[in-house]
Formats: sequence, structure tokens, C-alpha cells
Amino acid sequence: MKKILALTMFAMLVLFLAACGGDDSSEEGNTDSESEGNGSEEASGDSGDSNGAWTPSESIEIVAPAGAGGGWDTTARMAAQTMTEEGIIEQDMGVVNKEGAGGAIGWAYMAEKAGSNHNLFVSSSPILLVPLNGQSEYGHEDFTPIANVIAGYGAFAVAKDAKWDNLNELFEDMKEDPQSVTVVGTSSPGSMDHIQFVRFAKAAGVDITKIKYVSAPDAGGVTQVLNGSADVYSTGVSEIAEQVRADKLRVLAVTSEERLDGEVLSTFPTAKEQGIDETFVNWRGFFGPNDMDPAAVKFYEKKFKELSDSEAFADIRANYGWNEMYMGSEEYKEFLDKEKQNLKEILDELGLTK
Amino acid sequence: MGAIDGILTGFEVAFSWQGIMFVLLGVFVGTFIGMLPGLGPISAIAIMIPITYGMDPSLALVMMAGVYYGAVFGGSTSSILLNAPGISGTVASSFDGYPMAQQGKAGKALAIAAISSFAGGTISVILLMIFAPMLASVAVSFGPPAYFALMLLGLTAISSLSEGSTIKALISAVVGFMIATIGIDPQTGTARFTFDSANLLDGIDFLVIALGLFAIAEVCYLVMNRHKSMGGSGKDIGSLKITKDDAKEMSGPIGRHSILGFILGILPGAGATIASFISYITEKRMSKNPEEFGKGSIKGLAAPETSNNAATSGAFVPLLSLGIPGSGTTAVMLGAFLVLGLQPGPMLMGDRPEVFWGIIASMYIGNVFLLILNLPLIPYIARILTIPRPMLISLVLMFSLIGVYAISFSVFDLYLLVAFGVLGYLMRMFAFPAPPFILAFILGGMMEQSFRQSMTISNGQLSIFFESNIALSLIALSVLSFAFPIVKNLRGKKKA
Repeated sequence: MKKILALTMFAMLVLFLAACGGDDSSEEGNTDSESEGNGSEEASGDSGDSNGAWTPSESIEIVAPAGAGGGWDTTARMAAQTMTEEGIIEQDMGVVNKEGAGGAIGWAYMAEKAGSNHNLFVSSSPILLVPLNGQSEYGHEDFTPIANVIAGYGAFAVAKDAKWDNLNELFEDMKEDPQSVTVVGTSSPGSMDHIQFVRFAKAAGVDITKIKYVSAPDAGGVTQVLNGSADVYSTGVSEIAEQVRADKLRVLAVTSEERLDGEVLSTFPTAKEQGIDETFVNWRGFFGPNDMDPAAVKFYEKKFKELSDSEAFADIRANYGWNEMYMGSEEYKEFLDKEKQNLKEILDELGLTK
Repeated sequence: MGAIDGILTGFEVAFSWQGIMFVLLGVFVGTFIGMLPGLGPISAIAIMIPITYGMDPSLALVMMAGVYYGAVFGGSTSSILLNAPGISGTVASSFDGYPMAQQGKAGKALAIAAISSFAGGTISVILLMIFAPMLASVAVSFGPPAYFALMLLGLTAISSLSEGSTIKALISAVVGFMIATIGIDPQTGTARFTFDSANLLDGIDFLVIALGLFAIAEVCYLVMNRHKSMGGSGKDIGSLKITKDDAKEMSGPIGRHSILGFILGILPGAGATIASFISYITEKRMSKNPEEFGKGSIKGLAAPETSNNAATSGAFVPLLSLGIPGSGTTAVMLGAFLVLGLQPGPMLMGDRPEVFWGIIASMYIGNVFLLILNLPLIPYIARILTIPRPMLISLVLMFSLIGVYAISFSVFDLYLLVAFGVLGYLMRMFAFPAPPFILAFILGGMMEQSFRQSMTISNGQLSIFFESNIALSLIALSVLSFAFPIVKNLRGKKKA
């Protein structure tokens, strides 16, 4: 009995310690948003002084809703770094990683920041797809789109000695027997790798409900295509460019409108030139929380345009294989609404919407 | 440029004074981070990425590689002294290392771990240097059916990880399996057993479970039994000296598991954790005195320690020769390649030999540094055990909480840690062994995924498992390893 009592006390102690940690962080959050509240008041004070233009009055936090080293993280860090180095924004910009659940953890964190003018985050297609799959309470409607900055494109690659020479031959086989082809991607069904392939297959008239798709995390997709377990690897262009250069994989099509620049990339045919009228762009841009001051949105929109036009950022784009794709707040929002509708139709047809 | 020229360039990079400095810095940071329970190489390397921007890529990567294998090297320290695994690859090292330390042989245990790590690291670098270009094809030879068969082989060992009741070991394993299914299922995108909590969508991190079941459970145990004196009480560090007999005992496992660990390390997804478990089990199976395992066996410590370090070198094969990351840590390193303006992939060896061979060559120096760094420190580190127990317990608790919090800065993970700690304590009270739980958790996730990938590819035909030679031989091995104890048992009875 004594033992059980002691154990309970011990457990309570630990829980207490853990809870303290929790309190700490939520307090921190509170003070943050309080000071931000103050900041925006100050700022709106400022705005009165100088022709209604808003300027940040404290450091700006950019959330990457993923771990360090990934696409969102790199975009956030490179944007913050360039903006500071080029003097586009004078306030400090800090990048914070809020990792987990394909972005949902970071979005939930941002949802609490409603009304703040000093919190931004970076996102791409998953902010449309993850809520459609029912795995995030929040979607792009719950935030303020500020500006899209870059674009990446997908590619469909096969082993060097595969029997298909172009996308049409692959889709012809799939029309006859969709089960004869295995498509592999990194992420789960209903996410980017899967949906980009489905979109092109649908445009070509394949029965998309019968497509065999395997998800192989940890870059298992390359492995599976190289050893012949799977037939087609649906992924981002930059993931396979080196494999193509080494003559291990062949690209049947890229998802861009026109051929891409670059020694290897320009050899990839588009689906369009093969008569399949479809494109898929993995856009990537910046968002603010809900109810952001329109003057602040204007401010950031302009700054991201400066970033996008700067030579320093052009070098960074070239370095990472990103493409330029600027959209201002209004245009961005319309684009996102349309894109989401489009994706929803496909997911509905596949029975993946929740 | 031929391979020999490349190797020479690599040594030039590694043996330049900057090269040596960055290796030293890398392994120092790595071994220190590895020693702290919970903090691992992933976070350390991720933190370094923004710092290295603009640095000479080969030097930056030499340093990051140093952090990686340094952490695996140092990770055994807290496994052995505190039963709190420093990183996931050193969980198996606590099975025999911790009992050894409890028996007053902490110094010896740490010395054995350091020497096995050094040997495993160095032998595997030699293998890496000779075979890296050729082994690229091995890394991609495993399709989903082969992975399934490999995991199956690992699982047949559950019975040998158990002390006493086999039924209890199996129950423990089944619970481990169940925990492994929590989170988004990659094959369908459906959330399983998450109870609508976003915190569970990514599943439960391995370290939360390892630290809970081992470190926190041990803390509970010590608190509950605080009035009992514990055997050797841990005050005694014992001599560092490794006798001739000890050296003889170590040499077998070191030789075997340098190679086994290296091969398992090459396979993307297997990695140091799985390698160390499989080596531990294999060693126990081969041993003439399996009953010594789990009670402070030298072989039981040398095998996983050799293997996890060898696997770490092995993990560089797919990363450097194919641009395929096989684990979380190598995935972050792949990100570092891109930040430094390098394209990791099959062309790296030809395009940038100084990077490719520089990293490999630096590992020789790195391993020597690690040995020099760790051996003289052992008496001081082992003195941790002389800290009065109430303080030591608080420290373990504190570091475990910090370590888990650092994984994803989630308070929810801390509650989970406590929950698994209590579970671990209860399991211990009722004699349910924890290792089968851990093993099933590690292997279970991959086993399920590779099984279902296979099923999708084959349109549901089970025959896919008998079509590949690798899968077929691994399944045959599993059957043998399952049948062997039964046959042995029957024979024993006949004789009696």
C-alpha cells in the first residue's frame, strides 16, 4: 500500500514537473502575443505618422511547420537571410521549426496567433491537401495569404531500362490494365506525390480509382524503382535529377507548363508536349495569421516582391533548383481557392476526403 | 580521376590541419551530445546547418559526419551508467552494460564499449573505403518483400530476448506492435489510434519509449526500493583494465559484428538501432552460455557496441554513392549537402572526389580521436555513479525530460514519457521483459509497411515473398532459427 502511495506521489511529481514545462511554454506564448498586441498598437500609432504605411516594430518570427533541413525550413531560412542581408527588412527575422503531423502542428500554432502582425509562416500544397484528408483542423482559409515566392515541379521517373519511352505509352498500358503498374512516392495517398500523378493519369483517361500506389518513406522510392519493385516514381524534379544524370533513371514527363532550364532538366519532356493537357505546380509561399492588419499585409507583400526580384535570391533559386513564381496576396488567395476546389474533386473521386 | 587518386585527395582533405580541427570539433560535439540521454545527432546536425552555410563543403561535411558517429560512440555511456540510452542506437548496449556497472564494473564496461566502438568504427571504414563504390548496388537490392523477410528474421529472436516466461515475452512484444501502429498509416493516409489528437499523428517517437521503459522505469524502481542496498551499490567504479581473457572474449564479437553491422547499416531504413539489436541476438544465439546475457556479459556488450558503430559507417554507402538517405540523421545530412551547394547522388564520387573520399578518410582520424577522447575520461565520467543516489535519480529524470522535450518541443511527449515510465515499472514488477517490447516496436512498423507494400505490388499474391532470392533465403533462415530451439529442446529431452 505504502509502495503504491509512493508511486502515485512520484507520478504526480513528474506530472507536475511536466506541467510546469507546459505552463512555461504557454506563458511564453501569452507574453509573446501580448507583446505582439502591444507591438501592433504601437505600429498602428506609427502608421498614423507616416502616410498610413505600416512598419514592423519588433522582430518577426517565421514558422517552418516542419523540421530543419527540409523544403519549408530552407525556404524560410533563405528568405529571412536574404531579406536581412539585402536590407529589405530591417527588423530581426527568426525562423522557428514547429514540426509534426505534416504541418498540422505548425498551423495549429499559427491559428493561435490570430491578429498578430509579426508572425509569418511558409507553406505549400500540403496546406490544401492535409485539411482535405481530414488531418488538420486548419486550412489556407484560416490564414492570410501574403505572397507566393517560388515554385517546384514534379516528375514521373522510371528505371533506365523500363519498357515505356514516353508518358502516353505508360498511360496506354494503364488504361488497359491499371493494376499492371505500381506507382511509388514518398508520402501517403492523398498527398502531393500521389495526387500529381493521379491528375495526369486522369487527364489521359486512366481509371484513377484503380491506380496502385505505394508509399515509401525515407527516400525508398528511388530504391524501389531502381530494383524493379515499383515501376514509376512520382516525386519532385530535384529529387531525381542526379539519378538521371548518372543514367540510372529516365524521366517520362515533368509537370511544368514549359521545359525547365538546366543542362539535365531541359531534357525532361513536359506532359503538354506529349498531348496531355495538365500541369502541377508545387507552389511555396508565405502566410500570415488570420485577421492580419491589411496595412501589414501590404507591407510584407511589397517586401516579398523585392525579395523575389533581388539578384541574391535569384542565385539562391538557382542553387536549390527552385523556380520564380510571385503572386501578391489577392491573386494568391484566388489561386489557392481554385486549386483547392480542383484537388477536392480528385480526392472526392478517389474517396479520400473526410 | 581513378579511385586511388580520389582516395589520396580524400586523405589530403582529412589530414590538412583544418580537416583535423573540424573532425576533432565534430567528434567532440557528437560524443558529448550522445552522452546526454535523449539528445541525438539529428538535432545537433540540424543546428549546424545554418552555421556551416558558406563553409568549404568538404570540411563542413567532415564535421557533421563526426557529430554523427561521435554521438553513436558516446551514446553508450549513459546506457551503461544510468540505463538511460543516449541515442536510439545504444538501447541494446544497456542490456549487459548496465548490469555490469551495477556490479561495480562500470569502468570496465565503459572501456569495453569504447574499444568495441573504435574497432567497429575503424574496421567498417576500411570496408567502406574498399567497397563503397561496389556496394551501391547492395543498398538498392532489397525490395519490400526482402525487407519484410529481414524484419521477420529479427522478430524470431523475441524468444531469446526473454528471461523466464515466453508467454510474457510474447505479450510484451504484441503491445510493442500495437504501439507501433499509432499515427498516420503511410499506405492509406488514415490516422490510426490517434483519438483525434494531432500530437499522435506522427506516431510515438522511439526515444520516448526507450527512455520511458528503461530510464524512467529504473528511476521508479530505485525510488521504490530506496531502503534496500543494491548489490555493488554502484559506488565502486572498478578497474578499467581489460584482462587478456576479456580481450579474448571481445575479439570474436568485434570481428563478427563489424561486418554484420556494416551490412545492415548499408540497407536504407535498417540503421544502427536495428543492427545493434540483431547483433545482440545473434551473439546470444551463438553463445555457449546464453544464460550470462542480460547479467553483465562482455560479449553481450561488445556485440551491439561494435555493430552500431559499424552500421553508422555503413549508412554512408547509400548516402554518398546514391544520394539515398537511409535514416533520419542521414536525411538531415542530405539536406546539409544541398545547403552547401552539393548534389548528393551517384555522380558525387566522380564530380567531387574531395568530398566523397574526404568524409570517408576523416573517419579514420575521427575514430582515433574518439578513442583518445573517451578512454582517459572514463574514470571521471564513471564517477557520476558516486553522486548520492537521490541526486543521481533527479539528474536522470531531468535529462530524460529535457531529451524528450528536445525531440519536437512537445509537452505531450513528456506525458507520454511518464506514462511509458510507469508502464515500464509495472512490467518490471510483474516480470514482463521490456526488450521484446522495444524490438517489436522498432521492427513492427517497418515490417507492416513492407508487407503491405509487397501486397499492393503483387495485387495480393503471397507468392511475391518467394520470388526474390534474398527474401526466400531470409525466410528460410527465420524458419530455421525458429525451429532450432525446438529441435534442440526435443533432443535434450530424448537424452534425458
